[in-house]
Amino acid sequence: MIEKVRQLIGDLLNNGEAEAVLALASEHGNVQPYLYKKGDSLDNLALWPKYSMGPILKSIQVASPDMKLGVVARGCDDRALVELAKRNQVNLDNVKIIGLACTADEAKECVCAHPYPRSIDVGEKVAGVESTDDLAKLNSQDYDERLQFWKDAFSKCIKCYGCRNGCPLCICEDCVLEDDAWVKAGEIPPPFPIFHLIRAYHLSDKCVECGECQSSCPMDIPLTSLYSLIRGEFKELFDYMPGADIDRKSPLATSLEQEPIREGTA
Amino acid sequence: MSDNGFEPRILAFCCNWCSYAGADLAGVSRMQMPPNLRVIRVMCSGRVSPEWVIKALSSGMDGVMVLGCHIGDCHYIDGNHRTKKRFVLLAKLLGAMGINPDRLLLDWVSASEGAKFQNVVTKFVERVKELGPSSIGVA
Repeated sequence: MIEKVRQLIGDLLNNGEAEAVLALASEHGNVQPYLYKKGDSLDNLALWPKYSMGPILKSIQVASPDMKLGVVARGCDDRALVELAKRNQVNLDNVKIIGLACTADEAKECVCAHPYPRSIDVGEKVAGVESTDDLAKLNSQDYDERLQFWKDAFSKCIKCYGCRNGCPLCICEDCVLEDDAWVKAGEIPPPFPIFHLIRAYHLSDKCVECGECQSSCPMDIPLTSLYSLIRGEFKELFDYMPGADIDRKSPLATSLEQEPIREGTA
Repeated sequence: MSDNGFEPRILAFCCNWCSYAGADLAGVSRMQMPPNLRVIRVMCSGRVSPEWVIKALSSGMDGVMVLGCHIGDCHYIDGNHRTKKRFVLLAKLLGAMGINPDRLLLDWVSASEGAKFQNVVTKFVERVKELGPSSIGVA
């Protein structure tokens, strides 16, 4: 699999389709993003552990807006790039995406329901992994039990903002979660449910199920379970999946004529 | 009628062009309704951020109403389309968090519908009384 990626990156660089390709490199056992240029050795190329490529690509484009780029993107990276492009955070016109499908083991590790990009260049499409134990438990609970579950989970929150900082789609320059009107500075844990419910609402039409929030969380709060629930509700209401279609705007940004609510769901 | 002695605190966001005028009509027509309501006037129901509702619910309000013009009558053409989408979604999110979505009400009241305002308020206060005090902001 990694040989195929090496070959595709080499092709893009050699035939001039890309001036540089964003992928991962392993150096001294640390895997980190690396911008490969023509002539660079691809011996250190790495694919795993995954790394959120959207924000890195964005910062490269801020510095060099006209650079022709390539990027090795897994399913979650691909969806994040689509959502970022819709919000004018990245420009995909100049970007060649090398789509990498995750293996069954990788999908299992991420508990990912869609472990493949829109178009697959490397690897085979494998079935997604649907539910976690928490999610099954939550779905069978009534409101009071659920509220208690989340109160307990979020009482561990140390307000490190890791979930926000790790999220490829948290793009606001002024974050409401740092505004004293909603979340007072210096209070730990942050007020329930304001902090997490505001974040959940803001991510409801953007969450691409990359799982970065939960892997960033030092307190092991089951955030992916919350966002799975929310993605499910959003899909039911609007039949919309973030990252699936670059030409479809978020239903929250359009009128009822342009994007109606599905009948029987409201 | 539930009679458990509980008087809920309800916050209502009313849009300037329809619902606030509807509330005014209900008032000047001397229509009787429960006094549990505090009204905040906004220029359009589309101005109501979900953050406001979340904050109201977690600061001790037992229920929140968002009232706007009927779909098609919005002073800003499609402001209330967004209101509808937002609060239908927010109700689902409240459910996912374990907060009973019945504590949130979205409805349309025009300037001539004083009686509807009275009816909507009375019914909602009754509904929240049945649910009992909110324990959302309590640890």
